Amino acid sequence: MSNPILKVENLHVNFNTYAGTVKAIRDVSFDLNEGETLAIVGESGSGKSVTTKTLMGLNAKNASIPDNSRLLFKDKNLLALTEEEWQHVRGNEIAMIFQDPMTSLDPTMKIGHQIAEPLVKHRGISEKEALARALELMKGVGIPDAEEHINDYPHQWSGGMRQRAVIAIALAADPEILIADEPTTALDVTIQAQILNLMKKLQKESNSSIIFITHDLGVVAGMADRVAVMYAGKIVEYGTVDEIFFNPQHPYTWGLLNSMPTTDTEEGSLQAIPGTPPDLLEPPLGDAFAPRNVYALAIDSREEPPFFKVSDTHYAATWLLDERAPKVTPPKQILTRWAHWQELQGQEA
Amino acid sequence: MLKYILKRLILLIFTLFLVITATFFLMQIMPGTPFNNPKLTPEMIAQLNKAYGLDLPLWHQYLNYMINATHGDFGTSFQYQNQSVGMLIGQRLPISAQLGAQALVIGVIAGLFMGAISARNKNNKIDGTLGVVSTLGISVPSFILAIILLYLFGFKWPLFPVSGWGDSFSESVLPTIALAVGPAAIVTRFVRSEMIEALSSDYVQLARAKGLSEKEIVNKHAYRNSMIPVLTLIGPMAAGLLTGSTLIENIFSIPGIGQQFVSSIPTKDFPVIMGTTIVYALMLMVMILITDILTAIVDPRVRLQ
Repeated sequence: MSNPILKVENLHVNFNTYAGTVKAIRDVSFDLNEGETLAIVGESGSGKSVTTKTLMGLNAKNASIPDNSRLLFKDKNLLALTEEEWQHVRGNEIAMIFQDPMTSLDPTMKIGHQIAEPLVKHRGISEKEALARALELMKGVGIPDAEEHINDYPHQWSGGMRQRAVIAIALAADPEILIADEPTTALDVTIQAQILNLMKKLQKESNSSIIFITHDLGVVAGMADRVAVMYAGKIVEYGTVDEIFFNPQHPYTWGLLNSMPTTDTEEGSLQAIPGTPPDLLEPPLGDAFAPRNVYALAIDSREEPPFFKVSDTHYAATWLLDERAPKVTPPKQILTRWAHWQELQGQEA
Repeated sequence: MLKYILKRLILLIFTLFLVITATFFLMQIMPGTPFNNPKLTPEMIAQLNKAYGLDLPLWHQYLNYMINATHGDFGTSFQYQNQSVGMLIGQRLPISAQLGAQALVIGVIAGLFMGAISARNKNNKIDGTLGVVSTLGISVPSFILAIILLYLFGFKWPLFPVSGWGDSFSESVLPTIALAVGPAAIVTRFVRSEMIEALSSDYVQLARAKGLSEKEIVNKHAYRNSMIPVLTLIGPMAAGLLTGSTLIENIFSIPGIGQQFVSSIPTKDFPVIMGTTIVYALMLMVMILITDILTAIVDPRVRLQ
């Protein structure tokens, strides 16, 4: 394992609203290693997007982050930066790929200029040089006949092509960390695969690290090295992509996996997780997932579970891993995954 | 582009024809006659009607008007003897247009600035103050404002002349301000809401993620996008301002055309009613055409065809 380029420690993000304080991120910690892809997975409202916005310093004005939270990027605490210092980080050291390519580009500006913008800002080069580099970037992200299209406006392009332009913008200043916030959610499935392959290829070329935010576990399997599962503003389980997919320990991860169709999903076996995520104005005592969890223990409604170590790389916050907990049998599909995990382990041994 | 403008101009002539026709016949519905001075004897009235061609059947009058109009003859005013409508408008319209243009430029520029400042300070004290000022600007009628301005800067601190036109630029300062405040307030409110929308859009989020400063974002991305809807507001506003304001011109004794719009109607000065209506309709259509062309320049998604 290489060195972490980003360390998130005890991150809390609160939003002060008229109704009260929304605790959107509740004590999140994770590392991001150089050249790796970390997927953050969770349903709507789990805090994925707030995490990314915090990493870009782009939270709404009513957000407050306690002093003990730390975002260490190359040993520099990003949370202590002024707005001007943040502007040097954004697009330059940490860049972001947005979710919806149809609305992410300025409709009144030529695409070439939009790609050149971060270069002019961060490299201090002339508009002309930046445009020449923008052309290279357009070719790099696979835009055909880039010379002819550098002066196009966004409305002249399809969604897939626009997402390539958004990626080119993010890559323009050669950032060390790329945050991709559901970059394929708004695209057709066939285009999704193209964009994911492109991102993998570009990552190999530049050795940048990617934080991949998604609710789509199918995408995670092909992209990520490690996965963190978020629920109600917390990470509930994290591990390598194999550990999460084949040896999941948290009932919420089980639920997510069972609600994802795979090639051997039998008809009728696709299961939704019952209920809705809790209101983060007043997060419940204990395990926030307990009310939706058929495997919940009595202690879940009183005390929050700590992280239990499954392996050196795999941790899960569920009381089921406590040695005093009764042994429960997970759903059938999860048992199949566990069996597959045993095989994998056997092969390695 | 050129083809499009030509097409629009042809359409404009056709619309103008409809406006003239409708106005011509609608005027006839008004009760009374143009010559209602009690000193006039029935014989004299008959003579006047004959002289102005009002004794002819309506279709004949209409035909005569149209034929003369195509030759640039819009008749002679009933009220201002021996003044042709063309001359009357030709003398007065430029005065009103100059005043209106000054007010428009000042109003729009002030509105663009204040709207953007308001939007960037959304919901704080600056925004609140500008909100109150712009609400006042919209709700206080221009003539009240004119009187306040006259009292303050013409009487209490006599910085500017209180009336007149054409001798010096300073004469136009107070009426320009009185006229500009309303449009400035309207543009401010409009720009504010458009700018707030633009600043919360995805492409501005992306611009922030590029590391641009708020100033760069406003100037490079937000202004251009919020100008598109603002342009559609400015077109008709310009037509209204350039064709003069009865009240302001009255208060400052400005010999503009604004008054003719109103006074020609109760006096049934048919040629002047027709003339001013044509001027306003033409102005409005030209301004809308200009707005459409400008919109196409600002917004690449709009193609003129």
